[in-house]
Amino acid sequence: MGMVHVILCRCFGELDSALDLEGIRTRLEGHSDVASVDTAGSLCLPGDAAAVFSRVLERGAKKVLIGCCSPFGRGNVLRDELIRGGLASSDVVSVDLREGCAWIHGKDPAGAVKKAWNLLDMGLASLGRAGRSDNVTVRVQPRALVIGAGASGLSAAATLAGLGFETHLVERTAAPGGLLNLISRTYPTGESGPDKLKGFIGEMERNPLITFHSGTRVESVKGYGGDFKVRVVSSGEAKLIRAGAVIVATGARVLLPRGMMGYGSLKNVITQMEMERRFFTGKVDCTAAVLLQCAGARSPERPYCSTICCPLSLKNAKRVLKEVPGSRAYVLHRDIMTPGSVLEAYYREALRAGVQFIRFDPQKPPDILGEEMFKGVEVDDAVTGIRRKIDADLLVLSTPLIPDPENQKLAEILDLPVDRYGFFEETYPLHPVETRVDGIFICGAARWPVSSDQAIQQGETAAMKAAAFLSHEKIPALLQSPVPGGKAGHARADADFCTGCGNCTAVCPYGACRLQKMNGRSVSRVIKVRCKACGNCISVCPNGAMQIPERSDRAVGEMIRRAFREVC
Amino acid sequence: MSATKNVHDVRIIVFACRWCGLIGADGAGRERTALPASFRVIPVECAGFVEPDLIIRALADGVTGIAVLGCHLGGCRFSDGNHPALKRLELLRTLLDTTGIGGRRLLIGFGTAHESHQFAEMIREFHRELSELPSPGTWLAGTMKRQ
Repeated sequence: MGMVHVILCRCFGELDSALDLEGIRTRLEGHSDVASVDTAGSLCLPGDAAAVFSRVLERGAKKVLIGCCSPFGRGNVLRDELIRGGLASSDVVSVDLREGCAWIHGKDPAGAVKKAWNLLDMGLASLGRAGRSDNVTVRVQPRALVIGAGASGLSAAATLAGLGFETHLVERTAAPGGLLNLISRTYPTGESGPDKLKGFIGEMERNPLITFHSGTRVESVKGYGGDFKVRVVSSGEAKLIRAGAVIVATGARVLLPRGMMGYGSLKNVITQMEMERRFFTGKVDCTAAVLLQCAGARSPERPYCSTICCPLSLKNAKRVLKEVPGSRAYVLHRDIMTPGSVLEAYYREALRAGVQFIRFDPQKPPDILGEEMFKGVEVDDAVTGIRRKIDADLLVLSTPLIPDPENQKLAEILDLPVDRYGFFEETYPLHPVETRVDGIFICGAARWPVSSDQAIQQGETAAMKAAAFLSHEKIPALLQSPVPGGKAGHARADADFCTGCGNCTAVCPYGACRLQKMNGRSVSRVIKVRCKACGNCISVCPNGAMQIPERSDRAVGEMIRRAFREVC
Repeated sequence: MSATKNVHDVRIIVFACRWCGLIGADGAGRERTALPASFRVIPVECAGFVEPDLIIRALADGVTGIAVLGCHLGGCRFSDGNHPALKRLELLRTLLDTTGIGGRRLLIGFGTAHESHQFAEMIREFHRELSELPSPGTWLAGTMKRQ
């Protein structure tokens, strides 16, 4: 007489007809691990499922095996229902008898029956041998810290405060605003940068929930999602902020094209940012402006597209034509990147306004003419193949956004990965603002070049994600995971077997394994709230010290042993 | 020994990562793709979980072949769990070849969640390939005899 109560679903006769469920039931009743076997007509029907589940739970079942459809069908739902009914998540297993067996082996009925039996047997093996990870609970500090008060940081702080969360906004310079302070007009609305932020800055000053720390840098971060202890320093004075979530909104820098295309050596060769400053002060005097795209971008050292320079150039070219009557504007480009209906319309507007577009081959960049003073360009038009000479008196270089040089240091402090260029990296493309550390979110140009509108939207997104995180009073570590329904368990290092080789710390994608001194030697310790139970540490451990109790060697080994066991 | 063996003698253990491989397998089931009944799927969190130990143990237990299915390289749910997995398993494959067990008994596959046709194709092909290899009992017995 075993411990496991088995529930088999007929699936409206789908499984019955293919798998000889009655025979399997009789044999299961004789299995040494099984306490009882129930069959249900269909567990999809709420009445059926409730009746069977309550019957099984009344018998005092501690471990339940469900033979039904795949976990992505109803399997996981049924499992969750039993867990809600009071069973431990490690003690309920659903076995996929429909998609994984009945539906694909119709041509081999005997093989299908044997496989169904083996699958159930493997489920029993895993229930019998698997252990249970001990859970830990984090008490969440209902407070957020936003690093960087640019467009994305301000919008994140305003959103969080609007939702009622205390928010600390840390900015290394004296005033909020970031790069947008330097933009005279943003595309596509034409609003000025500072105007765009006025609402957010007003909110920041008005709302008592937002504390603004100017001239402050983050020095160290300790703790984990739900309870970070952040040390910030402002002019030599250190402060400790305990925050449940951290939003990284540090933005990006604009590349200064030193030594490129005559920048620095020729007069009237400027960057787009200087162009913006000229618009601010109203000193635009040129008869012909050449705007050169991809200056320093999409090159071997910076192969990415900065995404904002094309619309920016369209905007500035149009503005030159409008503000200086009789002037000409040329955009030299490799290809114009204006995705979406709004920006595409923006491009057509520029065409109508008289901006001339000349496409050049990246192999043959335009020649810059002039000594001391910029005189014009000579360029091979890639469309017509004709070499054109353009007389102009202003060259504007569209340089890309580059990662902030301080990203590397901040990444080390926060234990976040940066990509090969130096931007912060999200954990998974489907989770664009989440990082490998739960409770730390990234947004805006800190993660990738974005326009001001996108930065504001991403700030809101990160704030919503952070709010969802902060609204828990406590978070059990087993649920603290991007995985729906929680994770399989936690890895555990057995100090008796650990040799302190450090393989696990090197391979862990989440920085959950740490080497610690214990009785004079190093042993690995797993931070449970960080572990996502991927199991990479287990396969690199040379001495078998690492285990996930739910998926222990014993359990999986026994599953393999029973995978082809003859029908008993 | 070169005669094609009875198809039921093929025994495949599939370790499928539950973010890609397992969903692919599930998709093949939903499309009711006919597949040989010779494989058993063991869901794992990540292909990186599958330690070489388990594979060797499975082979010693009489399994003919092991497939490890993970996400595409670069698309791993756990950021880069399948890179070290690939390196490790390729090394193991060399070892299996050296010891005479045969690296062909280990299949490493990467696919995304919607590639159910790829899963079906992989299993069919693997099954066909394994059915031409001697059953594992033969090589275990063989090594014993030589000793």
